[in-house]
Amino acid sequence: MPPLSMARYWGGMLGFIIQRLLQSVGVMLAMSALVFIGVYAIGNPIDVLIAPDATQDIRAEVIRRYGLDLPLWQQYFAFLGRLLTGDFGRSLVFDIPVLELVMQRLPATLELALAAVLIGAFIGIPLGIYAGYRPHAVSSRAIMAVSVLGFSVPTFWVGLLLILTFAVNLGWLPAGDRGPTVEVFGIGWSFLTLEGLSYLALPALNLSLFKLAMMIRLARAGTREIMLTDTVKFARAAGLSELTILRRHVLRLISIPLVTVFGLEFASTLAFAVVTETIFSWPGVGKLIIDSITSLDRPVMVAYLVLVAFFFVVINLIVDLSYALLDPRLRRGRAA
Amino acid sequence: MSDATLLQVRDLRTHFFTRAGVVRAVEGVSFSLQRGEILGLVGESGSGKSVTGFSLIGLVDPPGRIVSGSIRFDGQELVGLKQPEMRRLRGKRIAMVFQDPAATLNPVLTIGQQMALAVRAHGTTSEAAARDLAVRTLTRVGIPDAAARLDAYPHEFSGGMRQRVAIATALLHGPDLIIADEPTTALDVSIQAQILAEMQKLAKETGTALVWISHDLATVSSLADRLLVMYAGRIVESGRVGQVLRDPRHHYTRGLLDSLPATALPGEKLNQIPGTTPSLLSLPPGCPFAPRCPRADAVCATDPPDVVVADRLFRCHHPLGLAA
Repeated sequence: MPPLSMARYWGGMLGFIIQRLLQSVGVMLAMSALVFIGVYAIGNPIDVLIAPDATQDIRAEVIRRYGLDLPLWQQYFAFLGRLLTGDFGRSLVFDIPVLELVMQRLPATLELALAAVLIGAFIGIPLGIYAGYRPHAVSSRAIMAVSVLGFSVPTFWVGLLLILTFAVNLGWLPAGDRGPTVEVFGIGWSFLTLEGLSYLALPALNLSLFKLAMMIRLARAGTREIMLTDTVKFARAAGLSELTILRRHVLRLISIPLVTVFGLEFASTLAFAVVTETIFSWPGVGKLIIDSITSLDRPVMVAYLVLVAFFFVVINLIVDLSYALLDPRLRRGRAA
Repeated sequence: MSDATLLQVRDLRTHFFTRAGVVRAVEGVSFSLQRGEILGLVGESGSGKSVTGFSLIGLVDPPGRIVSGSIRFDGQELVGLKQPEMRRLRGKRIAMVFQDPAATLNPVLTIGQQMALAVRAHGTTSEAAARDLAVRTLTRVGIPDAAARLDAYPHEFSGGMRQRVAIATALLHGPDLIIADEPTTALDVSIQAQILAEMQKLAKETGTALVWISHDLATVSSLADRLLVMYAGRIVESGRVGQVLRDPRHHYTRGLLDSLPATALPGEKLNQIPGTTPSLLSLPPGCPFAPRCPRADAVCATDPPDVVVADRLFRCHHPLGLAA
C-alpha cells in the first residue's frame, strides 16, 4: 500500500482497534463465566482424586486445598483474579501449573494447525482459481472431485489410510508421535528439522484435506464471479496477460472470504484437532483436553476452554483488521 | 485501402452458440474507419453494436466467436490472430473504454497501481517511469493534482473522474483506435457533455480514431464524423452525421430520430417505434425491421439490398427521401 493511504489507514484504524479490543474483553469475560459454571456442574473431581478408602479428614483437607469448599461465585472470582495474573491454577491430576501443562502441548498443536491451514491455502487457492478460470476443463472437474472427497470423507478414516499407505506399506513416513524437536525460545518445534517435518507431514496432510476442499470451493466460486466482471474485461482490453489478471486483480478481489475462512479454520483446528491428534498420537492440546475431561481435571478444562475463546477472539480480530487492509472501501466506514 | 484507412471491416459475423441456439449478434457488418475519424455506432440494446466493438478488440466472450469476415487493422488481419499477438495490440494500439467506470476499475487497487499494470503490460518499465506516464496522462484528461491522486482508490473519485481515469488508462500508450462502449451512459448529463468535449479534443490532438458505441443518437451526433446505425446485427444505414440526421433513408433511423425529445414540441407525446427488437435466435428471412416498419409490404420478406449512394449506405426496399 502506498505510504499516504497507509498513514490514513492506521490513523483511522486506531479507534476501530480499541473498540474491538473492548468487545473482545466482554466476550472473554462471558466465556470464562460460562465455562466455569458449565464445568463446575459436571461431576465431583474429589471422587477421582482421592482413593475411596481415604479418611474423612484427608477428604476435607483435599477439598480445602483446592478451594472446593467455597461458594461457586467466590471460586469464580478467585479463578478470574488468578487468570488476570496469568495463573490458571494447578492441574488436579498432574499437580503442576495448568499454564505450564498447556504450554508444553500448545506448540505441537500450533504448528500442526498452522501447517494444515497453510497447506490448504497454498494448494487450495491456486487450484480453486484455476478451476474457476477454466470451469469446463477436465482438470478443473478433477480438482472439484478432490474437493468433494475432501468434504465428505471422514477425517479419521483418511488418517488411517494415510498411516496404512505411507507408514505401513511404503514406510516413507513415521506413523505417529512427534519425534525430535528443536528448542527455540524455550519451546520445542518440529518444523525446523527435516526429521521433525517427516513426523509433521502425515497429521498435517490429514487435517489439511478439509481446508483444501474449502479453499478450492471458495476460490473457484469467487474466481468464476470475478472473471465475468467488467474489471477483468477492462484489464484484458488494456493488454494485461491472463496470469497478471489472475494474480493482481482476481486474487485481491476474492481474498476477503478466503482470509475469513483461513482464520476460522485455523482457530477451530487449534481448538479441535482432537481426532487427528489421537490417531497420530500427536502430543497436542486436543489430546490433553480429552484426557482432562475423562479425569475431570477442572482447572485444565477451564483453562483450555478460556484459551480457545482467546484464540478465536484474537484470530477474528486479526481477520477483521485484514479486511480493512484488503478492501479500502471498508476503511472509512469502519474507522468512523 | 489508402494510407489514411486505419480499419477495414468486411462482412463480419460474430455468433453466440448458446443452448437455445445460435444467436447471430453480428451478421455481415462492413465499414471502414480513417485515422483520427470518430465513428458513431448507434442502435438499441441487442442490436449488436457492443459485440461489434468487442469483436474489433478480440474480446468476444464464449460461447461467442467471430465465425467469418475480416478485420484489417493498419494492414494486419485481426480475425484468427493468436491471443498473445492480439494481447500485444490491446491497450497498445487498440484500447477500450467501458460503460460503467465503477465496475471497470478494480476497487481494491489504487488507480496508480492499476495504471502501472496497464503501462507494464507492454514492456518492462520502472515503477517511477510508469507512475510518471500515469500522472502525465491523468493530467491530460483533466484530473487536477494527478500526482497526489495516484494513491487514491476508485471509490474516492466521483463518477466523472473515474471515467476520466478509465479514459487515461486507454490513452496510456497513445493507441491508434479507441473503442468507447457507451462511456457516458452512467454519468450525469453535465459530466457527459464534459467528457464528450474532452474525448473529441483528445482524438483531434492525438489523431486517435474513435468508435463511439451508444444507444443515444443525440450524444453521438454531437461528437461523431460519421454514423453507423445498427439493427438486429446488421448495419441498416450509414453516412456522414449531418446527412443521416437531416435526411435519413431508413425507416428505423427515422423512428430513432422521431423518438428524440428534441424533435418533439413541448407537451407533445414522444414518438416511439412500435414493437420491440426481434430475438436474434429466430429471425425471419427478409428485412428484420419489417414487423415494426410503417412502410413494410410483401417485398420486405426478401433481403433488402445494400444501396450505396456516394458515401452513404442503406438497406431498405423502400428508402425514405427517394420516393419514386
